[in-house]
Order: sequence, then C-alpha cells, then structure tokens
Amino acid sequence: MEKEKKIEYIKEKGISKLVLEHENHKLERNKQLEHYEDVMYQCGKCGTCRTIFKEAGWERVCPSGEFGGFEAFYLGGKNLLTWGINSGQIKWTENLAKIFYQCSVCLACTQQCQIPEIHHYAGEWLMAMREEAVRLGFGPMSEQKRYTEHIMKENNPYLEKHENRLDWLPSNIKQSPDAKLLYFVGCTTSYREQNVAIATAEILNSLQIEFKILKDEYCCGSPVYMTGQTQKAKKIAEKNIEIFKDSGIEKIITSCAGCYRTLKDTYPKKFGLDHGIEVIHLPEFLLDKLNSGTLKFNNQINMKITYHDPCHIGRHMGIYETPREILKKIPGIELVEMIRNRHNAWCCGSGGGVRSAFKDLSAFAANERIEEAKKTAAEAIVSCCPFCLNQFKTHIKNNEIKALDISELVRKVI
Amino acid sequence: MNNGKIVSELEKVVGEKYVSAQPEIQFLYHYDFITAEPEGKCDIAIIPNSAEEVQEIVKIANKYKTPVVPWVSGINFGSIATPRKGGIVVDLRRLNRVIEVNEDDMYAVIEGGVTWADLKGYLEKNHPNLRAGITWSPPGTGVVPACLCYGMFDLGMLGGTGAEFINGMEVVLGSGDLIKVGSCSLSNYWYGRQPLPDLAGLFIGWEGTTGIITKMAVKLWPKLPYRTTYLAIGAKMKFGVPVMLKLSKAGLGICDIYFVNLGWLQSVQELNEKDVIKDPVKNKMPDFFGLITTQAYTEKQHKAQCEAIEAICTESKLRIRPTEETQAPIQLWGCWNFARGGGGQWIGSYCSTRDIVKYYEQSREICIKYGRPPQFYSRLMFGGHYCVARTNINFNKNDPDEIKIARKLLKEIHDVVQELDGVVMYKPPKWAVQTYHDKTFPATSDLIRKIKQLLDPNNIMNPGQGIGGD
Repeated sequence: MEKEKKIEYIKEKGISKLVLEHENHKLERNKQLEHYEDVMYQCGKCGTCRTIFKEAGWERVCPSGEFGGFEAFYLGGKNLLTWGINSGQIKWTENLAKIFYQCSVCLACTQQCQIPEIHHYAGEWLMAMREEAVRLGFGPMSEQKRYTEHIMKENNPYLEKHENRLDWLPSNIKQSPDAKLLYFVGCTTSYREQNVAIATAEILNSLQIEFKILKDEYCCGSPVYMTGQTQKAKKIAEKNIEIFKDSGIEKIITSCAGCYRTLKDTYPKKFGLDHGIEVIHLPEFLLDKLNSGTLKFNNQINMKITYHDPCHIGRHMGIYETPREILKKIPGIELVEMIRNRHNAWCCGSGGGVRSAFKDLSAFAANERIEEAKKTAAEAIVSCCPFCLNQFKTHIKNNEIKALDISELVRKVI
Repeated sequence: MNNGKIVSELEKVVGEKYVSAQPEIQFLYHYDFITAEPEGKCDIAIIPNSAEEVQEIVKIANKYKTPVVPWVSGINFGSIATPRKGGIVVDLRRLNRVIEVNEDDMYAVIEGGVTWADLKGYLEKNHPNLRAGITWSPPGTGVVPACLCYGMFDLGMLGGTGAEFINGMEVVLGSGDLIKVGSCSLSNYWYGRQPLPDLAGLFIGWEGTTGIITKMAVKLWPKLPYRTTYLAIGAKMKFGVPVMLKLSKAGLGICDIYFVNLGWLQSVQELNEKDVIKDPVKNKMPDFFGLITTQAYTEKQHKAQCEAIEAICTESKLRIRPTEETQAPIQLWGCWNFARGGGGQWIGSYCSTRDIVKYYEQSREICIKYGRPPQFYSRLMFGGHYCVARTNINFNKNDPDEIKIARKLLKEIHDVVQELDGVVMYKPPKWAVQTYHDKTFPATSDLIRKIKQLLDPNNIMNPGQGIGGD
C-alpha cells in the first residue's frame, strides 16, 4: 500500500515518520522551550495539522481547534504563538496560557504536519510552553491546581481519601507479599473504574501470576506533569520509585495507559530517573501470554466492537496493534474500525488536564468520538485506558453504546 | 477605532466565543507567516457562521468606517489577506459546508470558507466519480480564494484558471447587500455564468476589495478510468518548452502540462540550498522537467494518446517515461521549502506562451547574480491558450537579513519580467500593484475605480490591497 511505503512509525513515540522527508534538525526530546527555537517558526499555519493527511476522507483531527474556532487553538496557531513568545513579538498573558492549556496534548495534529521538525517535535514545545506558563505563574488552570494540591495531600486527583484507595480490592484476590511483580492500579482505576482493577487482578490470579498491589500506591504524577508542573511531578516520581525499590519491585504491570506512559517514558526520559524497572501495559502482557499459549480464551462473546486508541499508548508510545490483536483473538468478537483510528484517532477529550479545566471542550471531544463509534454499528467502544473509559461512560446517553475496557472482555472469556 | 464598542456589537451577531480583540488572536492574523511581505495589523477577528452574519458584520464595519478583510487561511504568495490598515478580519472558516453537488452538471456549491481538504474529503466520500481541480497549496487553504485570485489547478489544460472554474457566487458587497451572480441569480441551478451579464468579474481578481463571497459554485470533472502522467526530461528549458507547446495543441486528452527547472525540483524535494548546484546549465545538468498528464475513457483511446505523446517527445529528443504518481497530491506545496527556513514567495504571472523561455532566462540570471538557485515553473492553460510562468525563492523567515535580500531579489525579478509584453502578475503584493496601474489603459483604470466606489462606497473592503484599492 502507498501509505506503508512512505510512512513508518518511530517506536515508543507513535509518531509516523515520513520516509521521503529530510530531517534537517536532529533535536533532543523533553527539553525546555529554547531548545526548539530554531525550528518552530517554520510553521506557516497552512492548516495541514487540522485534517487527516491524505487518508480517511480528510477528517478533522483536533478537538481543541474544532471547539475553539480560532487558529490559535490548532497546532499551527500554537507553533506561531510559541515563536511569538520566543522572539518577543508577543507577551505571556492569562489568555495565552489558557490557549495552551485548552488542549489535551493528544498530538493528532503532529501526525498530520509534514514539516519534519514540527512533525517530530511539536509535542515537546507544547509541553515546554506549559512548563513556561507554570514558571511565570500563568499555569496551571485553577481546577488543575486544585487537583494537584489534592494529589500532594491524598495521592489522587479525585478529591478522594487515600485510605480508601484499595476499597475496590475483593477479598478473593490472591496476592504474593514477596512478589517482585507489581500491579500498579492507578488513581482512575482505583476510584472510578474499579471493574478494570478487579478484572485485571482476576486475570493475573487465573494465570497464577505472583504479584502484589501496594497498600501505599500513589498517583503516578501524570496529571501533574501534563499540566506543566514538572518539578512537582518529578517529586512524585522520586517518591514512587523509592517505594518501588523498598518493596523490591522489578517489574510493573499497569492497566492504565497514562500510568504506563508516565512510569515507562516520563520518569526516565523527562525526569532523568532511570529506575531500571520493567514497565508493561496490560495488553502487552496479555498478548505475550496468548502467544506463548499460557493464556487461553475458553468462552465466547458475541459482540461487534470498535477500538478507541488512547493517546497515551497510541501516539505517545506507538502502541496501536497489540490491543487489536488481543481483541481479534477473542472468540465471537467482531472488531470494526472507526474512520479515525490508530495515529489518526480522535482524542476522547479527557487528557492533558482538559477534563478538569475545560469541561465543554472535554464533552465536545467525547461526544464526537461516541458518535463516530456509533456510526460503526458497534455495540461497544473498547479501550485500554480507564480515563478514556470513564470519559465515554460519562458522556454516553441512554445506553446507546457500551463502553468497556479490554480487561473486562478478557476476564469474561478465560 | 473604538474596539470595545465594535466588539460588543459584533458579539451580538456571532456570539462572544467567535469574536476576539485579544493580542494572541490578533497576532495570528497580522502577518502571512510565509512571505517576505511586511506585517499588517488586525484589530478584531471574527468567525461568522452564515451569510446573514457576514452581512451584519459588514454593516457594522460601514457604520464605524472600519476596514473588513475577508480571510480563509491567510496564506498566499502576495499576502493579500494581510490587513494593511487594521480593522476587522472576517475569518470564514465556519462557512465550511459543501451545500450541494450536481452530478449531472458537474458542479459543487460550497461556502466561502471551504478548504481543499473539506472539498476533497466530501467528494471522496459522497461523489467518488467526480473530482475538483487540485491546487498546489496546502490542504487547509481555501477553494474560493484560489478561484477568485486566478489560482491554477491540475486541470488547467481543460478548464483554465480557477476563475474559469467559477459557475456563480453569492456575495456580500462592501455595502452589506447580498447578491447572487450567475444562473443561481434567477434559478435553483448554479450551472454557469452564461448568458447573463457576467457579474462574476466584479469579484474575480479584485483581491477581496469588492465583497465577501459566502457561496460559490465550482466546476467538477469526471474521473476517467485511464490516466497516465509522463515525465519528460531535456537539457535546457528552450528545448523542452516548444515540445510542450506542440503537445498542448495536439489534443491527446491532456488535462495538465507543466514544467520546471532543476532548481524547482530540488526545492520541492526539500533540499537545502547548500546541498544543490546553483547553476545546473553551467554544470551541464538537465534543466527541463515536464509533466504531462493524459486521461481517457477507454483503454484503446488511452493507448493511442500515450503513443502520440511518446512519439512527439522522442522525435524532439526529450527523454520520456511514465511516472509512478498518477495525480499530483493535494499537499504538494508549490514553493515552500522547510529546509530553507519556511519562507517562500514568487513572482508569478500569466503571460503569452511566446515568452516562457525569455521569462525563465531573465529571472534565472538575476537569481544566479544573487547566488540563489533559480526555481522556475510554468503551466500551460486552457488547451494552450496562455500560460503561467513564475520564479520562486525560498528564505529563512526567522532571519531579517534574508528577508531583506528576498524582497530585493523579488523586486528585481518583477521589474525585469514585467518588461515582457503581456506579463501580468497574479496575487500581486501591495508593492507590485502599482505596475498594474501604470500599465492599464487609463479609461479602464477609471472604470475600475468607479466600480470599486459603487460596490464599496466607504472603501472598507480589504483597503490597501488589489488594483481597486487606494
């Protein structure tokens, strides 16, 4: 196929690389704004970032831009505003900060841009602008400040008590206190999508995997990092790593896409905390067990489903096929694709601090995705991110479509 | 200008969310962000959602005698959507609906803010047997502005410029009145401008200085099943051009002919200037690359056309072979090279086919004098009746010195090629418009001024741009 000839994926970053393009600037990731100042001005706000490039009917891809209306809310606008700041043409204001925060950093825009440096690195300066906003006192948004304070106090962004974190845990789940494998549940799963936690723990039990869940599991820091509060997030990371080390953890499984991205990528690459612990996302683990024959699907689910790519494992980490391979192996499951899938997937609108600070945008994004899922005639929209799952459940009306996590389906067929 | 009062009135028209006078929003409308043209100034940006809202905006602008600048993507190589005198930028991006496609008469009625991506996506999904012409601008740019400003498509040999693809329009005049031109003005069909007085000319080529187009019908074309694009290579432009002219007059189902020099080819491949040879002719490298696309309804017809094209080129000692790409992609940016700093501008003109080689050689000499690789491009239009010739340059738009040199180089090319009779620049930047005035027959200039006065009595429409402006 034409597309496959010209595009390949960069492992772990989920960024499509254009084979024919020349890379003129080799840049490092996770740097501050100044590091990118020699490339961001190349943008001409041509609008290519607004629609799927060359394929899938030129569908729109940017929830922030489609909702915000003005060019400032698309990547092109943000590139040039960043240039404006860097070159002293404009000044920081509350409104400028709001523009940069009114974005889930889903990075669908970067997939479309054909300017090599912007294609590969724009996500870095979108984050660097948030860091800068925090440094200058313009960020994060008030709702994000509130949840950050709660994370610092109660280790979760949901304004819940830390002592209730394990309330989901059924008594029949068997843990091994000396296990070196940790199931890192995550805040959303612990407090909002407990079915995912239960299903994951039961799957591990059924596979007779020795694992444990920490009594003192804390937020991974993703909601703090994604809102530009890097130093605070780093402190959270340091605390978590200390706990992991003290608990003798050598490997972590997580059912949360955001925790996975943070533990595996952000800790070592952004914070420089090379913890040496293997981190795997539940679907990766399941597929490995399926391929080795350890995991077998004994039951059947007759259901037509569609898969939603979470940004945190898709575009941020390059994992698109693993969950699909599992779903396709479940007897009775018919997997159908939405028009915007894989690197072109429309974001559910919950990440990047958007769901707390920009509820209208968040709802707009979720509803758009739900409508797209309904057009496939699927009975359920399946994902492997509890934040996406919770977002869909919140916005699905009248049970018109179900929202499920991959762990729930797998649990039913083993 | 009392921004606060105007903003407050505009908010009543479109809602608070779609009006802004904040510096972050103004910043993205004040400059083209590609060209070497100077910055302008946007006071207020507004995004209407209907023709009625556009009317109300223009009426408010008239009340305050404040400029109105129609805007879709704001990028074009003459910076003609850059507000030169401040005022209200009317961003048409919400008018992005395809209203109707008439398969029998092959046209689409679109709103004023429809982009090439919008139109192409809509046709692919709903009318896969029809296609629009494809322009070499990014997919986020507007269809209507491209047509109004004589943009050219990959169907130029069939249909001429974008302006010739226009069947009719709905327009909000500078006075705020709404009119329709073409068959749509007296029927439900938008099939053409004939046989009525052709009022489309009141808006085509005026660079948004007479009205804001809220709807337009554009011609579509059938996708024929057999299609081949040939690449013809020759040593020099002067050897290749006569062959292309011969092909353009030979029938043969040709829907597109364009040709470039080596410098242009290297630029679209994103090669950095330091990596390319400045003067390929001196270095005895091929400097003519022609692309000829032919299409047909039957295999037999197509085979005959291809054989004839190959024979004509081979007889004239051009090397020719079919290319892999059968259709120029929508996203092929005409003269934008990111490796060279993202800046791009041209001296682009319509002219007689007699002068293509002269145009190239004169502009080439100037580029070489400045130490820049010449980048030349030409397309034969409407069955070979006329052509486009243009010389592109790239520059680093983050480097003020390079921008200064770019301006000087562009001006020099402009002044030289304008000496060729019949060379008329399209999408001219403000500084080039004076040449229009100087060359135009005086009574014609008077008529242009009178028309402008009639349609835009308060001179609020995109002032400082276009031939009709001040």
